[in-house]
Amino acid sequence: MELIEQAYQVLMTGALWILAVLIILSIIRSVLGPGISDRIIAVNMIGTMIIMITAIFSVWMDENYLADVCLIYAMISFLGVVVLCKVYTGVYLQRKHIKADLRAIEDNLAKQGVEMQEEEVQE
Amino acid sequence: MTGAWIRFAASAVCMVLGLVFMVSAVFGVNKFRHALNRMHAAALGDTLGILFVILSLMIMRGFSLDSLKLLMVIVFFWIASPVSGHMISRLEAMTDESLGELSVLEKGSKVHVQLHDVSNLDRRASREKKKKGAKGR
Repeated sequence: MELIEQAYQVLMTGALWILAVLIILSIIRSVLGPGISDRIIAVNMIGTMIIMITAIFSVWMDENYLADVCLIYAMISFLGVVVLCKVYTGVYLQRKHIKADLRAIEDNLAKQGVEMQEEEVQE
Repeated sequence: MTGAWIRFAASAVCMVLGLVFMVSAVFGVNKFRHALNRMHAAALGDTLGILFVILSLMIMRGFSLDSLKLLMVIVFFWIASPVSGHMISRLEAMTDESLGELSVLEKGSKVHVQLHDVSNLDRRASREKKKKGAKGR
């Protein structure tokens, strides 16, 4: 029985070490990333890995409430991503004076000189 | 005793699979160049990585209320992750200034081609022929 508990300890410790290294690599990407969406993707992935670490701790330390912390962290991470996306879309549209509706992607493409499919049909 | 070791083996296999998925997700995010490609790699870790890691923890924990909570984490994450991915992709499609460029990888060098040059090549040639004909008349 001693041996199997040691095996579980080794498994969880290895998983925690690997996840820590991956979080550091994701932080490097979120600093280097050229665009704002690259940074948001990296931060979202850091949140995923922190949820995994919290779940591993909840099993390791035999604490019941850390699973609740996991769930709340997932909700707040999702909320943060949605708010960041809305804020940066609004900032960009305000800077470029584009109307904020569903045709904003078409406006962006039209400013770059890409012809949309509908215009060709009308011609 | 053997039952406990079988359970340990199952949870270890699931944990290693999840960690392999997470390593490949981080590798892809650091390797790809455009944000939409990076999102494709990050979605792998958001779905399969967290599924296998938490499945391994549920096998360790056994059949109890805690593993139900961990299952709730997976269920919530599988609902929330595609939505946030959609939001990020809409942000990228609205704000990317070089979305129309199609990047073509050749041996060693990287060449950018405009999208309308590729898709409308023959149509554009026929249009220019018409213009030239009109001028000639």
